[in-house]
Amino acid sequence: MRAAAWVCLLLPLASAVAITFAGTKISRRAAGYISTLTTMGSFVAAAVAFFTMLGEDAGARGHVTTSWTWLAAGQYHFGFTLLADQLSVLMMLIVSGVGGLIVAYSVGYMDGEDEERRYFAYMSIFVFSMLLLVESGNLLLLLAGWGMVGLSSYLLIGFHHDRPSAIAAAKKAFVMNAIGDATMALALFLLIQHTGRLDYGGVFAASPHGGAVANLIALGLLGGAVAKSAQIPLHTWLPDAMEGPTPVSALIHAATMVTAGVYLIVRTHPLFENAYVIQDLAAGLGAATLLMAGLIALVQVDIKRVIAYSTMSQIGYMFVGAGLGAYPNAMFHLMTHAFFKALLFLAAGIAIHAVVGEQDIRRLAGIGRLMPFTKLVFLIGSLALVGIPPFAGFFSKDSILAAGLDRGWYGILLTALGLVGAFLTGLYAFRLYFIVFTGEPSAFAREHFHAHHGKEGPLSTRWTVGTLALLSVIGGFLQFAPLWHPLSTWLGPVAEPFAEPTNAQEWAISGAAVAVGLAGIAVAWLFYAAKRAPVPSPVRLFEKKFYWDELYDYLWYYPSDLIARGLYALVEKPLIGGSIAVVTGGASLGARELGRAQTGLVRSYALALAGGLAILTVVFLAAR
Amino acid sequence: MANFLVWVVWFGAAFACLVSALAVVTFRNPFYSALSLIGNLASLAVLFLLLSGEFVAAGQVLVYGGAVMVMFLFVIAYLGDRSEESPWSGGPSWQILGAVAAGGAVLCEVIVVVGLKAGGFLSKSSHIDRSFGSPASVGKLFLTNHLLAFEITSIVLLVAAVGGVVLGSHARRLESDARA
Amino acid sequence: MHGPEIQWYVVLSALLFATGALGVMLRRSPLIILLSVEIMLNAANLLLIAFSRLHGHEDGQIFAISVMAVAASEVVVGLGLIVALGRRNVELDVDKLRTLRG
Repeated sequence: MRAAAWVCLLLPLASAVAITFAGTKISRRAAGYISTLTTMGSFVAAAVAFFTMLGEDAGARGHVTTSWTWLAAGQYHFGFTLLADQLSVLMMLIVSGVGGLIVAYSVGYMDGEDEERRYFAYMSIFVFSMLLLVESGNLLLLLAGWGMVGLSSYLLIGFHHDRPSAIAAAKKAFVMNAIGDATMALALFLLIQHTGRLDYGGVFAASPHGGAVANLIALGLLGGAVAKSAQIPLHTWLPDAMEGPTPVSALIHAATMVTAGVYLIVRTHPLFENAYVIQDLAAGLGAATLLMAGLIALVQVDIKRVIAYSTMSQIGYMFVGAGLGAYPNAMFHLMTHAFFKALLFLAAGIAIHAVVGEQDIRRLAGIGRLMPFTKLVFLIGSLALVGIPPFAGFFSKDSILAAGLDRGWYGILLTALGLVGAFLTGLYAFRLYFIVFTGEPSAFAREHFHAHHGKEGPLSTRWTVGTLALLSVIGGFLQFAPLWHPLSTWLGPVAEPFAEPTNAQEWAISGAAVAVGLAGIAVAWLFYAAKRAPVPSPVRLFEKKFYWDELYDYLWYYPSDLIARGLYALVEKPLIGGSIAVVTGGASLGARELGRAQTGLVRSYALALAGGLAILTVVFLAAR
Repeated sequence: MANFLVWVVWFGAAFACLVSALAVVTFRNPFYSALSLIGNLASLAVLFLLLSGEFVAAGQVLVYGGAVMVMFLFVIAYLGDRSEESPWSGGPSWQILGAVAAGGAVLCEVIVVVGLKAGGFLSKSSHIDRSFGSPASVGKLFLTNHLLAFEITSIVLLVAAVGGVVLGSHARRLESDARA
Repeated sequence: MHGPEIQWYVVLSALLFATGALGVMLRRSPLIILLSVEIMLNAANLLLIAFSRLHGHEDGQIFAISVMAVAASEVVVGLGLIVALGRRNVELDVDKLRTLRG
């Protein structure tokens, strides 16, 4: 059991190290295989842990193993501690499972890339970091994994380092995540100050209940979650992160890393429950984000950006779920979202790959006719996303919406917003589907479409996408709240939900959500498939992404630039440059003046001798 | 009586010494300067004799006067008339300052020495025997107490001789190159 | 010692030395400078002999003889340089000979 947890964690690390040190001695494809096999090995280990845990008593499923004391300072001791319990095993399965599929997809997708080995090393580092994050047994190690996934994200977004836009996007992602890391660190400092420990077992029990400190702690953790999960106000990095290769977008910015914020809230839910204002704030931010992102997605013309805003919106749902206290529902949606969002990205990747890397949907229009398999799996993914039964999203999303009904007027408000969001989801998802995968192929698509040896894409891309499509179909059946809920039961001991809607409420909301989702699809069909009505021109506000980037420019960039330039002119040049200039100037001046004694005239040298001698004579005589 | 004679000789020699030294420094023609130096050396030899340094006096006349000055005169004759137009001009602007300083230092020293002697701080002269300053005793000292100085001095002379040959021949080679 | 006491010799030596020093500093011809250096050396010799007589040790005279030998060597080298300069028809003026300026 414990060994399984360690094996699961360390296999990707071994892969990263092996690929790095093997360098060019192994072929590029071999690096891909190493990475894929180790990630799948992690999945096997996670599965072993899961099945072992199934056989255990529900109350005794948490296994803590500490390998060494990592940090010992005074009376504070933090160990390199792994925790394998119901929640972490669930995340381990998702990360290594979906991760394994995506890494396998990359073998085909990234085939022929010059720096393929680096890519797979980075992917392995990422999988290791994410597993560290979810398996850690104390908040300090979680923070370490948190930072490392941020690093992996930076490395992978900027993978094509010859593209300035990619590098800029990587920096943006890292800086915004650093803000979240800072607030999290502050929260950890407060926790250490007030409880003296950070391990999950102890810190939750010992932390203060209510009051300013509890609020600050929860706020700090929320800051980190918001940054990592790209919610308002730290969301602007996610669309830019699409500069990375498509499998990266699928793994990091859809399935796993961005969901780490949700995991954090669920894991530290006692701390949030101690500060219910902050927890409500989390739900509010999630709702605001899901609406805003849905609106922006309506006007995007880059296929990956539509899916990225969709991710932002869906994570908003998860935040609403976690904020309302419906932890198992949020985790369930996290799992199904991983399936269908990865599916959408990878399918889009096949299409992009087939049409010389083009991502504009106007140019990709109609490609579905040339790529039927991709069209089918994309349809499955889109239906899962909108939440149409029997696909996965239906089961998970609606349970979150229903939970709001149990939480007073605020919850009802959030549910209403969530339903509006469901309508938007249907609209933007099928706008994308109808434009890209139905209708006549555009001239560009027809001209630049390249089949891969007669098939739509490399083999590894097709079987992985197919597997994800299958999971999107059957994955939802894991839990249907009114009728059967094994996941809630599984997670119950670790994350006890406190939003309990009745069965009637659940059915009602499910029906409503499906209805609005279908309505969205119908409107999309009206505009983009049947072309019965002219497409309304895009709203400028949505196109400008609600001016968040401009706002941050004014808030942070221009003042910083001004301050930097002012400091340069006022402090750096005169003071620091000046002081150095004084030293160097003084030295050269001194040298020049002293050099004047080197006249080359014998007489002046003789004079100097005589002068010195005279002085010496007087001194000696006086000393007598 | 003997004392009186000694004083007379002393004054004469001292006077000649100083005058000839001034003459060396002031004459424009180097030939005259060299001749004045010979006079200086001679008067110094007399002073050495007064101080019971017979060997040294002899050496002064023979080595300095007979060899070194002859060499000087040869070179001056070889170089021809190199009288300077205005010997005291030129040089860095603070030459005068240097001269004044040197003069001042000398004045200081004179005053101090006179004062010291007056105060009885300089030691009383000791009695010497007849063999003081004779070649025998000087030679004995050279070969016993100061053997190292003796040997090193001889090496210095050797080096100088070699140097002189090198300097002279080098010039000759260049001259023949220039002519060819 | 009969005759002048030691202070007379010291003063005389000082005056001689100063004269030689003036010659070194104020004359332009290297020959005269060399001669002035000889004067200074002789002044030192005089002082050595005088004090040797005062203390009754002949070590001063030994020193003076060594000084004479070294002075002779130095004159050899100096004159060799001057002769070399003279052969190339370089003007014998120390103010003009200043290529070694820093």
